[in-house]
Amino acid sequence: MGVKLSRTFVLRKLHQLSGIMPLGIFLLEHFYTNSKALTGPADFNNAVKDLQSIPYILFVEIGGIFIPLIYHAVYGLVITMEARPNNLAYPYPRNWFYLIQRITGMILFFFITFHVLNFRFGLIPGLNTISVAHSPQMAFDIVSREFRIIPIFIVYMIGIAATVWHLANGIWLFMVDWGITIGERAQRLTGYACIAFGVVLLLVGINAAIAFIRPGGLLGGIL
Amino acid sequence: MSAHAVNQKKSNRVPPKTVEIHIRRRANPDSPQYWEVFELPYRPNLNIISCLMEIQKNPVTKEGNPTTPPVWQMNCLEQVCGICTMVINGRARQSCSALIDNLEQPIKLEPMSKFPNIRDLVVDRSQMFDHLKQVNAWVELDGTHDLGPGPRMDQEEVQERYSYSRCMTCGCCLEACPQYEGDNYIGPQAIAQVRLFNMHPSGKMTRDERLEGIMGEDGITNCGNAQNCVKACPMGIPLTRAIYEENRETVVHGLFGWLKS
Ligand code: HEM
Ligand code: SF4
Ligand code: SF4
Ligand code: FES
Repeated sequence: MGVKLSRTFVLRKLHQLSGIMPLGIFLLEHFYTNSKALTGPADFNNAVKDLQSIPYILFVEIGGIFIPLIYHAVYGLVITMEARPNNLAYPYPRNWFYLIQRITGMILFFFITFHVLNFRFGLIPGLNTISVAHSPQMAFDIVSREFRIIPIFIVYMIGIAATVWHLANGIWLFMVDWGITIGERAQRLTGYACIAFGVVLLLVGINAAIAFIRPGGLLGGIL
Repeated sequence: MSAHAVNQKKSNRVPPKTVEIHIRRRANPDSPQYWEVFELPYRPNLNIISCLMEIQKNPVTKEGNPTTPPVWQMNCLEQVCGICTMVINGRARQSCSALIDNLEQPIKLEPMSKFPNIRDLVVDRSQMFDHLKQVNAWVELDGTHDLGPGPRMDQEEVQERYSYSRCMTCGCCLEACPQYEGDNYIGPQAIAQVRLFNMHPSGKMTRDERLEGIMGEDGITNCGNAQNCVKACPMGIPLTRAIYEENRETVVHGLFGWLKS
């Protein structure tokens, strides 16, 4: 017995899986670390330092983030090329989500490239030339200085919103693609759950970004 | 819109004097497409086929130029066979059940775009038949001897299988699918038939052959979950349910099948 696996089948399943694990898990970790900024620069800088002291950090970063990210991003663009959107003739919510998943994917491609070169590597001359990862003691200040430039802050807001949408809808997609969600009612209920998850994640992500320009984030001084 | 609201709208509307129909035509498979406009007197309860028959009787365009009679396919005239499917005002549906009174004028008729266009509104949908062969959409039975009564199925399963069995291979789901183009994807129609036969107690015995049929380069993973198929299907077949059931089967028996070996 045994069913033959085709190349496309394996590549698609890897694409779907990589979106959740490791990329989705990483995004949660990323927002968690960013949220450390809510309690002040020192806490955030320590969190950055802790991350850099993870054993085998080089392999964790390459195998757990860079390779899956590049794979998911490049194959995601290939999948996007295959789409023949027809949203005006068939204007249903799921058909819009289908299109938005591809548009946010393209936004993410440019945003993540910029974001990684900017903060991880410090390779954007004229904006930032210091790697946040390698200078944990300056981490908060580097981000804070950039976020005070309004166009940069807007770019980050768009990036965060696109990522959250892509992941929240992506979890729903993963559940149907792997045969976890099946019936119409289950599709609807998991849809609501993903919307709720997305709203919370969006607020957490935005609040963490605001914490770099306003002490304590949106609710600073209240909580 | 509720039936009541539709009736309300209809009774309030002044009936038009004429029906204007734009047809996207093609003389033969290799020649380019072109539009022609026809106009005919309005009658209540006209449908697209009756309009096409009128035009066929007297093939003169709205500007008064004589032309060739437009070609289309039809058979049952009661939305059962699927052969008369075409794109009406941008959406794939059966022309025999498309009432003029419910359509916005001018009415635009086009052949389906996802299949080779033979002539005028006629397309060659043999890819759908090829896909049925690719997925072994039948139950294997050897010999003509009496096998006795078949195994029993519970009512819920019978109901679900009945809904998949109503597929008339019309192609609306494929026309509406943003992932289906040039035969690159086996599509929801064939996947629903895999579900139909994998649910059958005797059909189950050749389950893996069907799974292999939907796990190739053109397989089930090409679905992008736009879910237009289930909205476009005139038979109300729960296509996304079938796709997700088969996602589960391909994951359990295909991807993780080696764990049992
Ligand atoms: C960097 C550029 C990216 C591109 C171009 C991209 C593109 C895509 C595309 C086109 C899909 C739909 C696939 C399909 O319907 O078959 C998709 C799905 C998905 N993406 Fe991304 N993506 C990117 C980044 C990310 C990131 C950073 C994450 C994690 C936060 C992520 C998580 C997901 C998830 C969970 C899915 C659902 C998988 C499924 O269909 O089952 N993606 N991506
Ligand atoms: S759910 Fe899949 S098969 Fe159905 S229209 Fe969308 S992409 Fe096509
Ligand atoms: S599944 Fe529905 S839309 Fe698709 S071919 Fe069958 S009857 Fe037509
Ligand atoms: S002629 Fe059979 S469905 Fe229209």
